Amino acid sequence: MIDKTIQTSPGWIDLESIRNEFPILSRQVNGQPMIYLDNAASSQKPNRVLAAMEQYYTHSHANVHRGVHTLSQEATELFENSRKKIARYIGAPSEREVIFTKGTTESINLIAYTFGYSQLSEGDEIILSEMEHHSNIVPWQIVCKNKGASIRVIPIRDDGTLDIEWLSNNISDKTKLVSVAHVSNTLGTINPVKDIIRIAHGHQVPVMLDGAQAAPHMAINVKELDADFYAFSSHKMYGPTGMGILYGKASWLDLLPPWHGGGEMIKEVTWKETTFNSLPFKFEAGTPDIAGAIGLAAACDFLDQLDVSDIAAHEHTLLAACTKGMVSLPGLRPIGTAPEKAGVFSFVIEGLHPYDIGTILDQQGVEVRTGHHCTQPLMDRFAIPGTVRASFAAYNTLEEVEKLISATQKAIKILS
Amino acid sequence: MEMSVQNITLNQEEVIEEFSHFSDWEDKYEYLIDLGKALPEFDPKYKTEFHLVKGCQSRVWLHAEVSDGRLYLSADSDTVITKGIIALLIRVLHGQKLSDIYNADLYFIEKIGLKAHLSPTRANGLASMISHIKSYAKHSPPKEDSGETPDAQQQAMIDAIKEVYDPEIPVDIWELGLIYSLTIDAQGNVNVTMTLTSPACPVAESLPMEVQEKLLALPFVKDVELSLVWDPAWSKDRMTDVARMALDMF
Ligand SMILES: Cc1ncc(COP(=O)(O)O)c(C=O)c1O
Repeated sequence: MIDKTIQTSPGWIDLESIRNEFPILSRQVNGQPMIYLDNAASSQKPNRVLAAMEQYYTHSHANVHRGVHTLSQEATELFENSRKKIARYIGAPSEREVIFTKGTTESINLIAYTFGYSQLSEGDEIILSEMEHHSNIVPWQIVCKNKGASIRVIPIRDDGTLDIEWLSNNISDKTKLVSVAHVSNTLGTINPVKDIIRIAHGHQVPVMLDGAQAAPHMAINVKELDADFYAFSSHKMYGPTGMGILYGKASWLDLLPPWHGGGEMIKEVTWKETTFNSLPFKFEAGTPDIAGAIGLAAACDFLDQLDVSDIAAHEHTLLAACTKGMVSLPGLRPIGTAPEKAGVFSFVIEGLHPYDIGTILDQQGVEVRTGHHCTQPLMDRFAIPGTVRASFAAYNTLEEVEKLISATQKAIKILS
Repeated sequence: MEMSVQNITLNQEEVIEEFSHFSDWEDKYEYLIDLGKALPEFDPKYKTEFHLVKGCQSRVWLHAEVSDGRLYLSADSDTVITKGIIALLIRVLHGQKLSDIYNADLYFIEKIGLKAHLSPTRANGLASMISHIKSYAKHSPPKEDSGETPDAQQQAMIDAIKEVYDPEIPVDIWELGLIYSLTIDAQGNVNVTMTLTSPACPVAESLPMEVQEKLLALPFVKDVELSLVWDPAWSKDRMTDVARMALDMF
């Protein structure tokens, strides 16, 4: 049944075989074929990711870095090969610079605490942007409050683009770090991160990028970007939940103090003094999420094999069709109309509450996100309580976009 | 009493019967939305933070009055679907005996296929609205013969308040010194003046409601009048020694 709904987009990728890799896509919701458009919150998982994790648990599971026995050796090799693969995927010069965390949130917290407590002093500033996810706001608020440092915010324009000039004019000797989203989860804006990094480095200020929404949608090359720190989550890029990456330049990570203490991250422990392990283990206390790392590596294979730039082109086709169809609906206002956008369409409809729209869409099998998307300051900026957000992945089809549009039309009819 | 439990049941059956005529979800939701629109206008004077029920996707305001042992409800919401469900709840519960409301099993919501809306993860305020209604209903005046002396009552009120915690501090709000005054008259009317640690603390907004709920749950409490004040502002000096000890401030 689902197979019939597949419409191959102009020659880029083979949608049918992609969809066949995602068993969940054939399920129904409220008696209707499910149309999953909440990919920015979390994407679905292809068979090869599930299979890699199952294969690991059924054949090679043991703790890593700890045993001379065969299983531990095998598990360690799988785990470290995953790290290598992920390092290659993001263009990291060395796998020592790739730290396993449990997601973007933990990656940002790691830097907020280690950088914040070792590098910030009273009166210092860090610069964030108005479109940040709460996970790139709150850790900095906690640390800055503690250190007497303050946060400054790059404003955005009405179309949801960053006012880069503000950064040039306001970065100063007091600025110790710039941390911004590579792609906005609410607006879809692709930020000019190369320019941001160039401006910041011109003042010897390091830059952290929140890549949670970029990693699933574009080729990432941290070396080319010259990013000092880069954070992303496995579950948004076809990998398992509970796994994420912090990339950091070795020169920075060597300098920063350890964060969590425990096993794996030490060289030698005595009551008098403990010495710490080298990178990347210095930041990986305790038994890591081994299966998660293996699953993420399989997800990188999936993205590589399809070619993430073809996925991006496909998502762009979907976004263009979605934008065109949706803006013609009465009272609908898109939130985020930047020229450079990844596959996110956020909107409000005059006089209707996002909750009601989301509920009526769900009745029709269309799964979208409603609310503030963990970007409350951004909602304040647009003076709205929340939006409805449709976000795309490699497996979405033009027909699904059509269904979103007609389902929204029906919601308007029922709710007005 | 038997009689009015039956009333709630009868009301529920009536709603279920009505909804059984809808063969598709569209008609059902359209009807629900119409019910919401037909709800009597909510008195704007109750549209305050104090009457706001938790829920971050949508907001619900609830006002309840007790008269002759029965609970009278009015409510509002900023989403039309939530408001429709509120209209149904009010239709089933409005004017019923307190004890019946407290004991009522609201099975009709599941029967008409709207149970998902009551899930706390929907964050639409409905789940908390029902628990608020039930906690209002739990106090059943008149309670002339509670047999408690005023001092015992005072202690019981303090004990009830001590069950409320500031979300950010592991010390109960009595020990924190957030309660500025607490009195009860012979009719069981309680007057509370309280503050919050900081006006900027959004999580703490639910504290006054919680204090009110805890007090109303006491058998001898008839009504609670609560004033939230910022003057004098709370400071660490207002904490009891117990609180300081707990927070390692000595
Ligand atoms: C831009 C952005 N940053 C950070 C996060 C947090 O990611 P996680 O919850 O996986 O740690 C998200 C996910 O919602 C996001 O979209």
